[in-house]
Amino acid sequence: MKGDRNMQRTQRRVGATLGVLALAITGNAVHAGEAGGFFDDMNINFAGFVRAESAISTTGQENPNNQGGNIFNSQTVARTAYLPPALGGGQWGAIPLGVGGNQQLGGLLPPIAFTDEVRRGDFIDADDNAFNYTILRAETEMQLTLTDHWSVIGRLRAIYDPTIYQQFNPGSVGGVQGAIDGGEKRLYKGRPNMFEYIVEGGDKPNPLEWSGKDYLVYFPALLAEYTSGGLNLRVGNQQLAWGQSIFFRVFDVANGLDLRRHLIMDRALEEFSDKRVPQLSVRLSYQLSDTILLDSFVAKFQPTVFGNPNTPYNVIPAQFTVHDLYKEGGYDSKLNYGLRLKGDYGQVSFQLMATRRYNPDGVFRWTESGVQKPLSGLLGTAVNLAYSVKPQLGNPDNAGACSPTLCRLYDDISEALSHTPFEASPAGVYSAREWFNYAAQVRLDGVAGLNAAIEEFAASRDVFATPADNYDQAYAELDTFFIAAGGSMRGHIARQYFREDVFGVGASYVNESENDLLNQMIFNLEVQYTPERTFTNKGLSRNFVKQDEYTVSLVVDKWHRFFNEFPGTYILFQALTKNRSDLVGRHLGGFGGSENKEAPGKSGNSNYLVLGFLQPWPNKIYEIEFAALVDLEGGMLAQPGLRWNAGKSVTVEGFYNFVDGRLWGNPNDNLLSTIDFAEEFTLRVSYQF
Amino acid sequence: MPYLTRYGRGFTRRKFLTDAARGVLATGVLAPLASSMAASGEITKAYPDELLSIEGYTKGRIKTGDFITSANVELVKDLLEPVRYEHILNHGRRLKVVKTTQDLMRLSPWEYIEATLKNAGKAGFDAKGNVVNKADGRPWIGGNPFPDPTNGLELFAAQTLSWGRHDASFYALTAQALGRNGEPRFNYSGGWAELSPVARVSMQPAPYWPGHEDKLRFQSVFFQTPSQFSGTSFLNVWDYDHSRFPDLYGYVPEFRRVRQFPTDQRFEPLLPGLSLYLSDAWAAGDPLHTWSGYQIVGRGPFLAGLAGNWNPGDPNWEQGVHGGPKNQSFWDTSVELVPEAIVVEAMPTRFPRAPVSKKRVWFDARNQIVIGMVTYDRRGQPFRSFDGAYSLYESGDDKFMDGAHPYWSWCHVTASDVQTGDVTRLQQVKALPGNHRSGANDETFYHRYLTQQALIKLGAA
Repeated sequence: MKGDRNMQRTQRRVGATLGVLALAITGNAVHAGEAGGFFDDMNINFAGFVRAESAISTTGQENPNNQGGNIFNSQTVARTAYLPPALGGGQWGAIPLGVGGNQQLGGLLPPIAFTDEVRRGDFIDADDNAFNYTILRAETEMQLTLTDHWSVIGRLRAIYDPTIYQQFNPGSVGGVQGAIDGGEKRLYKGRPNMFEYIVEGGDKPNPLEWSGKDYLVYFPALLAEYTSGGLNLRVGNQQLAWGQSIFFRVFDVANGLDLRRHLIMDRALEEFSDKRVPQLSVRLSYQLSDTILLDSFVAKFQPTVFGNPNTPYNVIPAQFTVHDLYKEGGYDSKLNYGLRLKGDYGQVSFQLMATRRYNPDGVFRWTESGVQKPLSGLLGTAVNLAYSVKPQLGNPDNAGACSPTLCRLYDDISEALSHTPFEASPAGVYSAREWFNYAAQVRLDGVAGLNAAIEEFAASRDVFATPADNYDQAYAELDTFFIAAGGSMRGHIARQYFREDVFGVGASYVNESENDLLNQMIFNLEVQYTPERTFTNKGLSRNFVKQDEYTVSLVVDKWHRFFNEFPGTYILFQALTKNRSDLVGRHLGGFGGSENKEAPGKSGNSNYLVLGFLQPWPNKIYEIEFAALVDLEGGMLAQPGLRWNAGKSVTVEGFYNFVDGRLWGNPNDNLLSTIDFAEEFTLRVSYQF
Repeated sequence: MPYLTRYGRGFTRRKFLTDAARGVLATGVLAPLASSMAASGEITKAYPDELLSIEGYTKGRIKTGDFITSANVELVKDLLEPVRYEHILNHGRRLKVVKTTQDLMRLSPWEYIEATLKNAGKAGFDAKGNVVNKADGRPWIGGNPFPDPTNGLELFAAQTLSWGRHDASFYALTAQALGRNGEPRFNYSGGWAELSPVARVSMQPAPYWPGHEDKLRFQSVFFQTPSQFSGTSFLNVWDYDHSRFPDLYGYVPEFRRVRQFPTDQRFEPLLPGLSLYLSDAWAAGDPLHTWSGYQIVGRGPFLAGLAGNWNPGDPNWEQGVHGGPKNQSFWDTSVELVPEAIVVEAMPTRFPRAPVSKKRVWFDARNQIVIGMVTYDRRGQPFRSFDGAYSLYESGDDKFMDGAHPYWSWCHVTASDVQTGDVTRLQQVKALPGNHRSGANDETFYHRYLTQQALIKLGAA
């Protein structure tokens, strides 16, 4: 018997063309060495794996960003409506339309319907899921080598989610407030859509990607490669990663992230290997000398992909309807480009990077809902009536000429509301408490958010909304409109993208010492500087925040042998500081809010520490992993894990995500409270072929 | 017919023992080996008949062409490391005996041997312990610097200086890890590349690649299968300073980029199941002075694979296997009687808590090539055993050329974990998908395998 033929995927010599065709079917590797001419060197190779992945929640906590996990589903909240200042109410909150206010108005209005108690769960079914995540994944990588210089590389990834989850059904609120109306139907009208990334206009913008509600098939890489000497050229759909930092994206700026599947909850040491959004790119790298590598790219801009509404790891509260302007804003034809020089001189190395890109995370602002629907309920009917009795003397193009008290801009209140960022629909925000709570959760300012929605939309003022001077006024105004809406209001936000220049400089030093603990310790410092970076305004205003941002990371790597019987432990320590935003790019100005106050913003930097280690067993059959991300404002994500290389092409991985965003301080000051819900154990079983 | 010898086994044994007791190393029994080979290119004048053929050694009870099996292994027990003996005795391993190679030029790459003869006597150690050309104190100029070694350090210095004895090599390889039950548990394929910027004898410019005289070698390893490790690659850049650890860069598929890694832990399993460490490479995988001791602890004849191990009958040079519970634990191997092996022990003094307390390495006195290694755990118990097979890649009418001469290289290695019974089999194959072809002295190896950009190219897309 000849050894190891299975391992080799059988390198049979066959006629080149037929061989390639045969291989496309069989998945074997073929050398076409006996054929003549151009195909002399042609061969093809396949490898891949299938993997079942599931994550079971250990706390029973649902994602609060989803309808079924909204923390107000189980809370009864009192609401009071007030007479709008535009109708003579003075300041918001001065004249309640309930019992007290009725007296001030001489008993003109009945108290009932102007104060109420609302329990969100009376409208929305709460979810109760054991599993956060269950998918079946198959990946294969193919390399077709044409000559010593030319090859084609393709990596295909297919994911199926059987969606065994209890999830929000928009049909359940179909009879309330006229049902959810706005937004892309495939995202907001039906069952949660696990995988389709759909932007305004209905397009699915990711190239070489095919997706449905429960499946995703795409090419993370499909490229032609030319190589000659020190030159390497790759053209096609691909990802690119730079930098020494792991998880901290200081130099890793070329691609956005695909957060549709398991957010950032996968094995920490895997980093973003399956999460960088591939881009149609040209990548040219050239080894200038032994020590200096030049790497560059030009890429068609592709944005970060967030989880869809009501999917397990959605991070945008489902009370919002998002209008992604990637296509309508013309961003789909934009290019990113960048250049990096990396020099290694043994103990010392350096990196320089300059990238001009559209920030793939994008920024958000209020946008017109486009939903023509009147208010409802007794108060809503009264407002509708109050609106309709105003003479239509103004027009939207010259709104300033028309006092909202005396004239209206639109034919009716439905049309007016369609020009506000709100729709009077179910499954939105039901109370001012919910508004402020969620504003703080997503690092926005509840008062500024309300005011921007009024000041920047004449239609909002046209329906008697006026800017609030403080939290109390905003609270009163919000509750008034939620009652007038007949239950809740959904907010509409637009996502758009801005160009930025990202510069990076880095250096590393390998310490050599007689002290074993210090010997071969690698220190790496990376600095990113972005002038005039555009951030989401904490009020979702269209006046985005533009500020210079720096990011600094320090990485220390070390292999150290603690035990005689075990291989060395790989230890990684990282620290990161950013002066304008948190780890995921949310501006610090929106930090520190709560249900009871607007966001004061964070005055200092956001700071993070990472400690990770990897301890293999002898022969590496087992590997213990640990990684912890600590937000110095009081949050921690700790991930212990075990990998079992079982042999026979089987690998089993289990890891636990311990998340606590409430260790100390205001949870809304740290990153990890945002994913506090995702405490879970993940099991992955892979078979490689 | 009785097999008559002029000098009996007692004579040679006494000669080796006497030399050992005097603390001297003078290769050859009847005459100095180095000068005999330099004069005639053959070894016959240096050794008695009993050390020149298996027939002579076993008094005709084992003949060239026979297999050493459990039935006759006792006759050659003294010629084997304990693990190979155990494999043959109890696990069905067998070794085919071929004629002892007497032509020096068939025991290493042609140009390497020429340079060895040409540069004999020119090497020395400088104040830092680096091997230099004594004439100008610059790095070594090619060939074996110590063809007539006088101590263990010189043997290891030569081995560390040039692993594959080519200026540049690329080995397409496969590896299989088998458990005690003989079941294959892990299958891997990949490539190993090494290139010397100094002491060059075939590639131009020689002996130095200008601007790179401060480096000893560039070396990389990468894996193609299984998919979990596809694209995993590591690049070691060795300083010529024999005390400095190499710089280590790695492309880990999870990270999708090249990172620098600490390099002092060289006893880590590279991949699951493999009984191989970076430190094990060529029995001299670490910089020379990170180990110490280098004590000669024995001399004597040995059985090793030095010829007849290339398998051109397989289109990809894959070797046959046999033995073990599933009849696939061991490579089919041809061995020959090595007249004189020098056994050297060394200790890993720059590796605190290394799992290895010492290694014992067998060198063929004829060409100072490594022909066996056993490592010992920290309790002093045998830990792992390595035996391999080399060959000139010439068999009948089949030849695989390296320039003007047939290619000479290793063919396969067996690494056995003595304590667990696991076996790792490694073989050099002709090619892997992606046009990764085994060969030597190809200028393109540098850019294909030995730069950071090369790691990116080899990495998963």
